[in-house]
Amino acid sequence: MLQHAIEDIKLEDIKQPNIKPKEIKKALKMAVMSLFSASAYAADNPWQVETSGLLYSESDSRVSAVEPVVSARKEFADEHYLNLKLVVDALTGATPSGALPSNSVQTFTRPSGNGSYIIQPGELPLDNTFHDTRVALSANWEQPLSDRLRGQTGVNFSQEYDFTSLGVSGNLARDFNDRNTTLSAGINLENDWIKPEGDIPTPFAAMQPEGAVQARGDSSDSKTVVDFLFGVTQVINARTVMQLSYSISQADGYLTDPFKILSVVDDATGDLVTTDAYRFENRPDKRSKQSLYWQTNYRLDRDRISFSYRYFWDDWDIKSHTLDLSYRWNFAENQFIEPELRYYQQTQAEFYEPLLLASDLLNDTLPEFASADQRLAEFNAVTVGVKYQRQLANNQHWNARLAMYQQSGEGSPDGVFGSNAQFDLFPSLTAVIAQVGYGFEW
Amino acid sequence: MGLNGNALHINQCAGGLVGRFRAMGCPCEIVLYGQPADLKPAMQQAYQCVVQLEQKYSRYVEGNMVARINAGQRVEVDSETVHLLEFAQRCYQLSDGLFDITSGVLRNLWRFTKDASVPNIEAIVGLLPLIGWQKVDWQPPYIQLRPGMQIDLGGIVKEYAVDQVAQHIESTPLSGFLINLGGDIYVEQQDLSYPAWRIGIERPDAGPVITLEIRRGGVATSGATHRYLWHQGKRYGHILNPKTGWPLEDAPQSITVASNTCTEAGLWSTLAMLQGIHAEAFLAENSVQSWCYR
Repeated sequence: MLQHAIEDIKLEDIKQPNIKPKEIKKALKMAVMSLFSASAYAADNPWQVETSGLLYSESDSRVSAVEPVVSARKEFADEHYLNLKLVVDALTGATPSGALPSNSVQTFTRPSGNGSYIIQPGELPLDNTFHDTRVALSANWEQPLSDRLRGQTGVNFSQEYDFTSLGVSGNLARDFNDRNTTLSAGINLENDWIKPEGDIPTPFAAMQPEGAVQARGDSSDSKTVVDFLFGVTQVINARTVMQLSYSISQADGYLTDPFKILSVVDDATGDLVTTDAYRFENRPDKRSKQSLYWQTNYRLDRDRISFSYRYFWDDWDIKSHTLDLSYRWNFAENQFIEPELRYYQQTQAEFYEPLLLASDLLNDTLPEFASADQRLAEFNAVTVGVKYQRQLANNQHWNARLAMYQQSGEGSPDGVFGSNAQFDLFPSLTAVIAQVGYGFEW
Repeated sequence: MGLNGNALHINQCAGGLVGRFRAMGCPCEIVLYGQPADLKPAMQQAYQCVVQLEQKYSRYVEGNMVARINAGQRVEVDSETVHLLEFAQRCYQLSDGLFDITSGVLRNLWRFTKDASVPNIEAIVGLLPLIGWQKVDWQPPYIQLRPGMQIDLGGIVKEYAVDQVAQHIESTPLSGFLINLGGDIYVEQQDLSYPAWRIGIERPDAGPVITLEIRRGGVATSGATHRYLWHQGKRYGHILNPKTGWPLEDAPQSITVASNTCTEAGLWSTLAMLQGIHAEAFLAENSVQSWCYR
């Protein structure tokens, strides 16, 4: 029986394959040509370079910044990418020092101890000492590790006048479910060193007049930050992609801002005390942050909507919500306009204090930690912007973005009383962001 | 680099360098002529190119893409492999199903050595469900085999590697070169002040050696004179018919073809071999420059 089957097949096969001679030569040449035309261009991919310049300018001559960025990406082998990025920030201007406005002229000593600046009555004290340039470099390599697994590893370095940061990162992403689901896990390790002008202030030490000896500790300090990131990306349907991620971060070390101070006021009147009226702040040396992030991209027939929400909380008792919405209007084949709207809101840190009470200093009942840094206060912010991009020939494009940022907080937060109640401790801040970019292949 | 015993050995020859190594189961030879400083880097580059393709497409490298495909996983392949598999599919169509990269499992049964015998018939029939490119789920760039099926790109990759190396080293200004991976060859000698390459064609009969003079092009041979078995007074050559699981009948012992590229030459010689008794007629009809021996 079996033997028969075999014999049948063999007989069947004696007929020669059915190839038409005239067609085969052409077909064969085509097959060989397409094999080589394909593999030839994979030989060397160009660098994809993005350049941009950003201008950030706060109202009332506060901070202004210029930020050029150059990034480059190249595929070295199939899906093996090297990413490089250089960012330079040049900042000038003034930021709130943490001190309260006053009815009289206030004089503050510069961090170096050699020099001072004056704030007029009724004005929010801004420290204009800082003038810094930051250079940040990062390199990142990504490649497939197996059919479904991709790996990424990177280093980053940044340097400022008084601050150095060095970090390494690694990330693994695995596809499941016909590549409709991607799970990822990543880790970042960072070490930062700070060496402030005039050394590290002693917590709650009084700011001494210009030329006097300041109460200072070590000349430098450091912190370490460990971040873990877990994410899932899910293709919902042909139009919708969702991403959900959770991150947890632990910082240990010097987390205080050595330039921020608090005003000491009289318990009854709220007036500044006459001696040792400014004290350096003090923050915990640990901070544990967590966040949940959800993003959805929805592709319409022509346009694209992107929405994201982030909930952040930490053990300093700051909670924040960030909502982001953008609509990419592809009104022409090679151009788009993308309006964006972003809303941010945060609660204050548990040790945020607009001021210190003279009695607490006298009775040694100061809180363990206190800071009047506005970034730790309750506030909200809205960003409204629009981006335009135009695609050119040869894989070049340019774009321009204009955005406005408005921040507002509680002008008279809890704990403010007496003569301080007349001042706006959190005047609204408006900033303009202008950005131009150009991308090309090299 | 390279596996044990497969290392590149470079020797001087008059005006050039000869590199010898083993790859893809064959002795390989690369000869380069040109500026002395250019030759060694070009040789290394050529060798690396072969080794990389071997690592990528060999069935014997653990964990590579072919191994994952043969383990039955659904694999997303890179663009180079997409084009190789598309090419394999074209070969399958052009040969009416006789040139089939899934037919390699048959070689686990058939041994073409002097004292080998015809395998068990049940075993052959049992393998047939595992053979046939039409059973492969190929939706570029995804491929998935049925359990037990295997692909073997060995019948394509060696010729492809010859042409790829030729393409790679063309970036070096060489006056001439020869790439020979186990008898699959590409040569170039554009400088007319030098003689053309002379390639001897191996023939199974005792006739005089034929020498082919060629300035630029590929040469490939199908069939091997020492790979056959005798069974009940009949000679079985090593080219198997994937439809029956038996060796092709009346196939020539060897066919050598010269063409523009090594891949094209290899495809002509394989397709001609699969024509069996009509091999010579097939080659003549298509005016292929060829040497066919029975």
